[in-house]
Amino acid sequence: MNLFQIISEIEKVDPEIMDRLTHRRSALSALGDITRKMALAAAPIAIGSAFNKAVGQQTLTNANDILNYALLLEYLEEDFYAQALAAPTLAANLTTGSAARGAIQTIKNHETAHVNLLKAALGTAANPRPASFNFGTAFSTYPTFLTFAQAFEDTGVRAYKGQATNIPRTLNPTVGGNVVNLLTVALQIHSVEARHASHIRYMRRATAAGGTQQFGWITNADGNGAPAAVYGAGNPAATFPAESNVSQGGLTLTSVGGNTYTVAEVSEAFDEGLDNTTVVNIARSVVTF
Amino acid sequence: MSNNLQNGGDEAEFAKPLLVPIKRRSFFMYAGATAGATALLLSGCDDDDDDNNMSPGTVSLGSGDVGVLNYAYALEQLEAAFYAQVISNAGFNTAFPDAAERTALTAIAKHEAIHRDFFKAAIPAASVIPALNPNWGTLNFGDRTQVLATAKTFEDLGVAAYNGAGALIQDPTYLLLAGKIVSVEARHAAFIRDLISNGSFADSTTVDANGLDKAMTVAQVLAAAQPFIKETLNGDNVGK
Repeated sequence: MNLFQIISEIEKVDPEIMDRLTHRRSALSALGDITRKMALAAAPIAIGSAFNKAVGQQTLTNANDILNYALLLEYLEEDFYAQALAAPTLAANLTTGSAARGAIQTIKNHETAHVNLLKAALGTAANPRPASFNFGTAFSTYPTFLTFAQAFEDTGVRAYKGQATNIPRTLNPTVGGNVVNLLTVALQIHSVEARHASHIRYMRRATAAGGTQQFGWITNADGNGAPAAVYGAGNPAATFPAESNVSQGGLTLTSVGGNTYTVAEVSEAFDEGLDNTTVVNIARSVVTF
Repeated sequence: MSNNLQNGGDEAEFAKPLLVPIKRRSFFMYAGATAGATALLLSGCDDDDDDNNMSPGTVSLGSGDVGVLNYAYALEQLEAAFYAQVISNAGFNTAFPDAAERTALTAIAKHEAIHRDFFKAAIPAASVIPALNPNWGTLNFGDRTQVLATAKTFEDLGVAAYNGAGALIQDPTYLLLAGKIVSVEARHAAFIRDLISNGSFADSTTVDANGLDKAMTVAQVLAAAQPFIKETLNGDNVGK
């Protein structure tokens, strides 16, 4: 069986496979002979990742599946902040009227709004809220809570980014009486999660007992206490590299346009996406639901 | 292995963007000094022969995905130029006495410069727009309040621009790249907002009742950005 027969077979299961392969093929044809040999040596990786959809179901294809996946993450985040606001162990830090409580309430309200929006988009197809989320020791201390919050927000950003290319850009459902573009809405949620992540990182920096010396962005793959997997590579790693990645669009950006930049600076300048399997595994590693 | 953003037909064309991007680069680090050079690049669009009174030309961003990439490149040029001016200003230490704030603004300046250089190198040489000249008007770079207010404007605008442009992008590779950048812009936006007023990172001026950030059309974004750019940008065919 040759390669094109294989692709033809996959097309019956996965009609979009050629879309994902075409880009690599045209890139190959643009290369010179020597480079082509090297590229072909690496081709099995590309083909392998294209197979994942048909065989491993690494990629969500149905819009409702993507929305329900997002809904699960939003349920989790909403419940996390609701429990934090009610936790006796955090009451001394999240005092009524404080900037900290105000920020967590703002974030919680956004997650609630996301839940409501996604449920409205899904209608009767919306999955129910899990019976409970057990966050273990997440609320034991204020710094621990903020570390968990950072992990959830940074993961949320990676999760939405990882689905962006799975959402058809022409999908315009009616949600709450308004026609909306689903990809645009997903991007609008995505950047709000990034704002949350930035602020949680700001809060961690400002904590009284020696804050974490970080800013609103991700340096290398540093979690500063958050699980390493949150910043690690997904599957396939070629599409979803670790946050320490410095290569974008085939360019290694530590030296570009006559300028040089540090690995840390380049890693900060680009966030990376994650596949849904890796995201759910990360969630299940710290939350029981 | 593959350079996904190149569509050149031969090896020389393929390698070119990696080797040549020096001449139109880093223009804004010395804002003002390069105005003459850029005016030369634009001279074909300019029928005013008086060098001292040259009205900048019109720059077309192009169409389709390349148009979207040039659109992003134009905005990143603006941001990179702005922060380069902020951190190189003689009064930087006085305007920002907090060392951590200076460190953060210097990091943001690097991020935006990397975004700029990335688009410059990644967009096919035949299609890439030239270096643009900023117009800061009366902006006082020695004034923390003014600098942060302008930074907030640019960062929020960048987020809204990428959010609005996502659905215009046909090639998934470019969409993912835009996604990788927009969340960093959102992190910047939140950080700058918190420097202005702690807790304003995602307030109701930018996030609506549905928990959604802004998404703006190309026309809306260019209308907001145009006062800061001397050249006239034409984005009529971006994404079309």
